[in-house]
Amino acid sequence: MPDAHEAEVDARLGRVFDRRLVARLWQAARPHRALITGSALLFPLIAAAELAQPYLLKIAIDEHILRADWLGLTWVAALYVAVLVLLYALRWVEAYLMQLTGQRVIHDLRAEIFAHLLKLEAAFFDRNPVGRLMTRVLYDVEAVSEAFTSGLFAILADVITLVGVVGVMLWLDWHLALVTFSIVPALFGAAAYFRIRARDAYRRVRQRLAHLNGVLQEALQGMTVIQLFARERHEYESFRRANAGYRRALFNSTLYEASLYASVEALGSIALALLIWYGGGEIVAGALTFGALVAFIQYTQRFFLPIRDLGAKYTVMQAAMASAERIFGLLDRAPAIVSPVGPAGRARPRAAESSLELAGVWFAYEGEAWVLRDCAFRVAPGERVALVGATGEGKSTCARLLTRAYDVTRGRVLVGGVDVREWELARLRRHVGVIFQDTMLFTGTIEENLRLGADGTLQAAELARAIETARAAAFVAALPRGLGEVLTERGGNVSHGQRQLLAIARALVYNPAVLVLDEATSSVDAESEALIRQAMAELLKDRTSITIAHRLSTVQNADRILVLHRGRIHEEGSHADLLRLGGLYARLWELGAGSPPR
Amino acid sequence: MARYRARYAAGAFCLAAATLASLAIPWTVQRAIDALRAETGAAGLGRYVAVIVALALANGLARLGSRFAIIGGGQRIEYDLRNDLYASLQGFPPAFYATHPTGELMSRASSDVAAVRALVGFGAVSLFGTAFAFVGALGAMLAVDPWLTLWAMAPYPALVFLVKRFNSVVNERAQAAQEQLGVLSAKVQEYIAGMSVVRAYTLEPRAAADFARENGEYLARSLALARTQSSVAPLMGLIAGVGTLVVLWAGGKAVVEGRLSLGALVAFNGYLAYLTWPTIALGWTLSILRRGLTSMQRIHEIVGAGSVGAEVAGAAAGSAAARAFGIRFEDLTFAYEGRAPALASVSFAVAPGETVAIVGPTGSGKSTLGLLLARLWEPPPGTTFVGDRDVTAIGRQELRAMVGYVPQEGFLFSRALGENVALGREGVDEARVRAATAAAGVAGEIEQCPAGYDTVVGERGLTLSGGQRQRVALARALAGAPPILVLDDAFASVDSAKEEEIVGSLRRFVSGRTVLLMTHRLRAAQLADRIVVLAEGRVLETGRHAELLAAGGLYARLWRIQQLEEEIARA
Repeated sequence: MPDAHEAEVDARLGRVFDRRLVARLWQAARPHRALITGSALLFPLIAAAELAQPYLLKIAIDEHILRADWLGLTWVAALYVAVLVLLYALRWVEAYLMQLTGQRVIHDLRAEIFAHLLKLEAAFFDRNPVGRLMTRVLYDVEAVSEAFTSGLFAILADVITLVGVVGVMLWLDWHLALVTFSIVPALFGAAAYFRIRARDAYRRVRQRLAHLNGVLQEALQGMTVIQLFARERHEYESFRRANAGYRRALFNSTLYEASLYASVEALGSIALALLIWYGGGEIVAGALTFGALVAFIQYTQRFFLPIRDLGAKYTVMQAAMASAERIFGLLDRAPAIVSPVGPAGRARPRAAESSLELAGVWFAYEGEAWVLRDCAFRVAPGERVALVGATGEGKSTCARLLTRAYDVTRGRVLVGGVDVREWELARLRRHVGVIFQDTMLFTGTIEENLRLGADGTLQAAELARAIETARAAAFVAALPRGLGEVLTERGGNVSHGQRQLLAIARALVYNPAVLVLDEATSSVDAESEALIRQAMAELLKDRTSITIAHRLSTVQNADRILVLHRGRIHEEGSHADLLRLGGLYARLWELGAGSPPR
Repeated sequence: MARYRARYAAGAFCLAAATLASLAIPWTVQRAIDALRAETGAAGLGRYVAVIVALALANGLARLGSRFAIIGGGQRIEYDLRNDLYASLQGFPPAFYATHPTGELMSRASSDVAAVRALVGFGAVSLFGTAFAFVGALGAMLAVDPWLTLWAMAPYPALVFLVKRFNSVVNERAQAAQEQLGVLSAKVQEYIAGMSVVRAYTLEPRAAADFARENGEYLARSLALARTQSSVAPLMGLIAGVGTLVVLWAGGKAVVEGRLSLGALVAFNGYLAYLTWPTIALGWTLSILRRGLTSMQRIHEIVGAGSVGAEVAGAAAGSAAARAFGIRFEDLTFAYEGRAPALASVSFAVAPGETVAIVGPTGSGKSTLGLLLARLWEPPPGTTFVGDRDVTAIGRQELRAMVGYVPQEGFLFSRALGENVALGREGVDEARVRAATAAAGVAGEIEQCPAGYDTVVGERGLTLSGGQRQRVALARALAGAPPILVLDDAFASVDSAKEEEIVGSLRRFVSGRTVLLMTHRLRAAQLADRIVVLAEGRVLETGRHAELLAAGGLYARLWRIQQLEEEIARA
């Protein structure tokens, strides 16, 4: 994931300042503007305290050391201590305020992105892998906050310090100041030249690294093929080439980076030489004091570092802008399936009427690859219907359409006689519960998982009744911590059959008027199978239901069986009727009965 | 690593020279200031200035030299290490890859190697630099004034201790924040992956609240880290400032009392300033050292581990092609580590030039037979024979030239289609690639691709269907013209009509060679000379299609099921 992320950053490097993006970032930072103003106000204070140090040194030398005034020197030293401590405190507060702002912006952006993801429709998640979305929520957000802490603010602080240094130097001795500034063009030139080279070199390093990792990953995945065809030497050679390319790129980046540091250091020493040469002359001429020269030397150092590091901050801003663009791209993606607004949303469906109907439904997940073609059926209130068919015939798709995980391409889906697109989403999903029996349990205790389905408070007795009805009471009681047992990721510490019982208990707690049950595809042991069948019978009692049956052993009790084939209802009737008919259902039944152990 | 000793020696020499040049600058400044004080006029000043410029240039060059020598050397060590690591990885059998996920190996090859690079690169520079800085600067300071040196160094133990303390608190809190980021990341992963459940149970408000709680905790921990971390950089400033202060006050007194010249005081301050950075970086240097050594050890666990198939012989693809060999399994029982036997007392023989199909339900042991025959997993000695020789006694290279094994996955490299078939093997020329792809029934589709055989496939190229990939993988095996061909369910993603067609054309292409065809499609199996039915690791039935149907056993039942499935699909 970090590699993919880096590759993305790479592809987008190049723009630094996009006015639209900056405006949106400012929007994101607005709630924290008090903090931002607070830290911005600290910048001049810090600059002043920093600039006071060399000046105190000048006073100490000129007025006390050279005049043999030790008592006065002690006073200046005390003042120096005070400035040091003040500066330490100010910088601490400043750095903390920046972090505080940055982290709060991160926190808010994360919450916003996550809330937005919750609103997006299922089709969005089909197209965007989990890893990519996690990158948005976790890492892109960090890069954006860097824009505040290491980018904009740091640049602002540097500029203020630079202006201060230049001002003080001019004030102390403008001749000497101008002599020092004569180095600046060379400094800027060196910094810009090597920084740009270094940045390009780093880009190549990232590209070569991505290539190297790609070669390695492919080799690891295809190791069997390499070994089978005795291609070890051949593949080693291509790995070695990628590795060599990476090493060369890395060395180039070192070359420019080291040259930048060495040349800035050398220029610093040359500035020192210039100061001594010109300043020495002035001292002899009586136009300059020793203290002023020493102070000048120190100011010069404070002036070099910000210029050297400007380039690094520029790069940070670039990465931040690329991340910001991806984040806002995600936030701008409007959910495709939402509750209706306006008069339609206020139309109250007759919720008590729990009929279901698919009328002339056509549906494709992508393009024209139709999964349902003119599919139509109706389920009367209180009826128990089973939907069967071969794998991939669109059984589960029907369930998804009933709760608007997806919208139909053509036709209508009606719940309680009202088109699902006119229902308020949350009400619809509360009314029609889709229960995946093979469902995932979330990390947390069993009780938390069961309570997930409850509206508001749930009495302990009701919970106990649901567990009892779901035939889960015995195994829950046998667990060391009972209801408080923590389920690990994907519920690894309870068996497969027990997970299904818990899913049924959760459905009982959720207690929807209409139940769409997507049966588990995996098989469990005979004992669990019996328990599950009893629990399911309880769950379906007195409810309108559609059971999507992946195995036919459970459908015989349904009031009616619908056989889905080629995207439409092919046969329907009771188990006995359909067997007598000798059609598709009869073949599916024989296939189910004669299935070898797979 | 020993061959880079000279580089490192040169680098250390450069660093020593750079340190010397750096420290000589304050020394020259001292001479210049004292000359000014002596009021000899600005006459001699030019000489000092020239010396400073020369020293500055020398320092810059020496520093550059040290970086190139040591950091460049570190990068070379990294390069060698990564090559060695890769070479050892190539030697491990599939059993190793079954227990080491790709992600884990990738991380070892990237983060561990990078940690070693940091150790032998910047770590080494920093280590040498710190040592020279302390020796040089302390020497210079002592030469100026021993008492003042004592004064100036007095706060150092406390400062080093303070920096260490801060670092350990920062590390602790950084780890706490990192852990919480892990928790947050798991939450996001769980909810995104379980979005269908979230929707079905209208859990959005709960998910948002749950996320908000972990997000808030992460904020709290990040801020706890920020509170300490924010003080680290100012603390460094404080350290530098305290040094200057001590020199100013105690040194100023010495100047006032005439024990020290003003130039010496300024120079002294310069020496002290030279020590600031190495002192601050000490903790960092040590942590690079620790991390690098740990990573080194982990890499050596892999590089050192016995590499089985490192032997790389250029066994030409077509060398063994002329003859036909038979296959024989004798009372073969095999279990993957810690699991029930996958094969139990399997015995049967395939005559040279015969085509035998192996059928059976999933998990019956079909694939294991192929894996053992190609020695991707090690069969027990005396059980598996190719051309009457025990496979465990045949060199891997020779065996693999004899047995062309086509696995189920149809793995392709992100390269040109033609290269995927030829794999750079000697003797596999364009004509052979074309003949092989034609026999595998994929030539037509390849020729329709935008760049034909030069079309690059994979992530950055053309995406092939599973069936196409499998057929290209088959062509790859055919191009080598092995005397024995083992097809391990190699057409699972190809539709059944196409499979029959390929098996038909294959029989013509490989006539005279021995073929072992594992398949779950009986329509393809019935084209074989003989069929072996496996169930739960045992040979259940053997015979021709008609014989097995008449026998009415498992084969007959499987045949009926497949007919039902076909009828349903046709309905």
